Amino acid sequence: MSGSGARENIFATRMALTNTKLRLKGAETGHSLLARKRDALTTRFRAILKKVDEAKRKMGRVMQLASFSMAEVTYTTGDISYLVQEQAKLATFRVKAKQENVSGVLLPAFDVDRVPGSDFNLTGLGRGGQQVLRAKEVYAKAIETLVELASLQTAFTILDEVIRATNRRVNAIEHVIIPRLDNTIKYIMSELDEMDREEFFRLKKVQGKKKRDAANAAQLKAIQDELENARAAEEASAAEATESATENSVENPEQSNVEEAEESVVEESAVESAVEPTDAAGEDPFATSGDLLSTKDEDVIF
Amino acid sequence: MATQASFKDRVLIAVIGDEDSITGLLLAGIGHINEHQKKNFLVVDTKTQISTIEAAFQEFTERKDIAILLINQHIAEKIRPTVDRYQKAFPTLVEIPSKDHPYDPSKDSVLKRVQRLFGE
Amino acid sequence: MEGLFFNVGSGFLEGIVRGYKAGILTSSHYASLTQCESLEDFKTQLSATDYGNFLANEPSPLSTATIADKATQILVDQFNYLRSNAVEPLSKFLDYITYGYMIDNVVLLITGTLHERDTHELLERCHPLGIFDTMPALCVATNVEELYQSVLVETPLAPYFRECLSAADLDDLNIEIVRNTVYKAYLEDFYHYSTTLGSPTSDVMLDILSFEADRRTINITINSFDTELSKEQRAKLFPAIGRLFPEGNNILAKAEDIEQVRQACDNISEYRTFFDNSASTQGNGTHQDFGEMGVAALLEDRFFRMEVHLNKMAFMQQFQYGVFYSYMKLKEQEIRNITWIAECIAQDARDRIQDFIPIF
Repeated sequence: MSGSGARENIFATRMALTNTKLRLKGAETGHSLLARKRDALTTRFRAILKKVDEAKRKMGRVMQLASFSMAEVTYTTGDISYLVQEQAKLATFRVKAKQENVSGVLLPAFDVDRVPGSDFNLTGLGRGGQQVLRAKEVYAKAIETLVELASLQTAFTILDEVIRATNRRVNAIEHVIIPRLDNTIKYIMSELDEMDREEFFRLKKVQGKKKRDAANAAQLKAIQDELENARAAEEASAAEATESATENSVENPEQSNVEEAEESVVEESAVESAVEPTDAAGEDPFATSGDLLSTKDEDVIF
Repeated sequence: MATQASFKDRVLIAVIGDEDSITGLLLAGIGHINEHQKKNFLVVDTKTQISTIEAAFQEFTERKDIAILLINQHIAEKIRPTVDRYQKAFPTLVEIPSKDHPYDPSKDSVLKRVQRLFGE
Repeated sequence: MEGLFFNVGSGFLEGIVRGYKAGILTSSHYASLTQCESLEDFKTQLSATDYGNFLANEPSPLSTATIADKATQILVDQFNYLRSNAVEPLSKFLDYITYGYMIDNVVLLITGTLHERDTHELLERCHPLGIFDTMPALCVATNVEELYQSVLVETPLAPYFRECLSAADLDDLNIEIVRNTVYKAYLEDFYHYSTTLGSPTSDVMLDILSFEADRRTINITINSFDTELSKEQRAKLFPAIGRLFPEGNNILAKAEDIEQVRQACDNISEYRTFFDNSASTQGNGTHQDFGEMGVAALLEDRFFRMEVHLNKMAFMQQFQYGVFYSYMKLKEQEIRNITWIAECIAQDARDRIQDFIPIF
């Protein structure tokens, strides 16, 4: 799993995931295109190879003919080599380079360009001029073959370079880019999953709390209702009791009783509310709805 | 590519060869002497030093107006390491046979590379 | 009458030259030479002839250039022997023979000096028969004027240069034109000198030299079609001797294609057959198909044959200097022949190996 470590340093968001997926798609398309280009170039390369081989052999034969024609010249005219070397001034045989587009690669090719000139026209004037003329023609043909060969060879060299470069890129995409993108995607997805899980957990927790809140609020309400009922009942009975006795003296103690009762109720409710969080452990004298709470206690894991 | 403009100027054919080959090729019209009195050919005989040949090879491959460099195979043998290291596309190097040494495909540097590729 | 006193001065040398002539390779020699498979065989075969072991010290592999050089050296040695033993007027005659080679050398030196070449190299490339003492002086010249002066002063070719060329010409004209102009002057001079030598030398030499002049005229005409050589310039290169002079020369000066050349030569019976385009078999049994080159390429071969024939005829007569000239020319042809055979063997062109001209 050596590639698993290699991934891009990217913040894991959904958009990043989409982007990375797009890039992966792009890389795969690029890879297949480059592989096709490389194959096309390789076919072309092999074709040129064959041609180069043929051309070289042809050149061997042609040069032999040319050398022989020089032997003829020497026979009739004698040794003209020095004069020929000294008389060379301007090249009448030149080449023009042109570009050819071959499967997207610009390959140069050479064209023979004869510039009119008058070198060597009078060589062998007194003797052997015809042989000189013929040697000139044979050599001109030989050079044309050589120029073709040179074009093929340049094409060959450049194509070789381009194929190597394309191969490098194909391999790079295949072994580096795509695994990296794959790993990035995996990482993002795992991060997102993780975030989802956290979210879910948080959600559940909040839900739980909300439920407990709701349950407590309901309990409180129930207790308060009971209290009110009890008080109302007490008030009623207390009012009856004090009617027979002195009105004032009984009223105060009643009132005070009622006040006390109210106070005690208030206190109790205050105590209750304070005690509620510890309801879990403690017993509530008013715990008529103790079932809901106790069941809730089992759910939560602290 | 930076060389695109420059190889429009490459028009000459240079030769490093023995006397007979040079005479014949010059007769056809490739000989040229530029304004600095520099020739585009070098005659190699039994007395020529290898350093002269190397120097001429360097010079011809660095000149900007030479498109093709012809060299006799037996002379290329003398500077074989330099020739084998030559990787530039321009000027193109072509090995030609001479009168005394007919063409031997096994020694040609380009064909050797071809063999390597086919062997791969 | 000529026989009476000839041998006094030249008898020994005539004997020597006839001995040399006997050593010229014959058809049987050529037959065995053409059978050789390699240059080593060739060398072995040659060692059985008069050439002897002239290639003994050469390192292998042999090259055809070495063979040609060494064979020429043998000829040079023979000539020098003759020349050193000669007295007037034979010595002057032999000098005339060397002027031809000297012209070639001077032309070489002019070309080299004008392009500022190394003098040692130049001197090495000169033909050994054309060497004269003051040659290095020519190499010292740095411009055309000096060159012209030194040529006039130092060389025996001064009269030829003086008559036809000025210093400016040396620079302007194509070197070939210079060469042919000088050669024309030389031929004419040689011709007149031969006439002064009297019969039978003059008979033999005039024949040979006329043919040489006509051959050059025809060649110059044919080779100047489609070149920058104008008709006037061409006419100036025709030697004023030979069978084609003067009418033939006039026609040729105006000729524009090979048909007109043929017409000009039709008047002379010997030259009529030169322009035969039919695939006639050559003397040694092969015939060539020259394609588009047609008769022009065949011409040179026929000229060579005629020359060999005339030179052989020279040996029929005794007591004349023509034998020396003819021997030189025949030996040269022989060297050309063996070089040709050697080339064919070296380049494995067996089909053309019979294209030489057998002499005896």
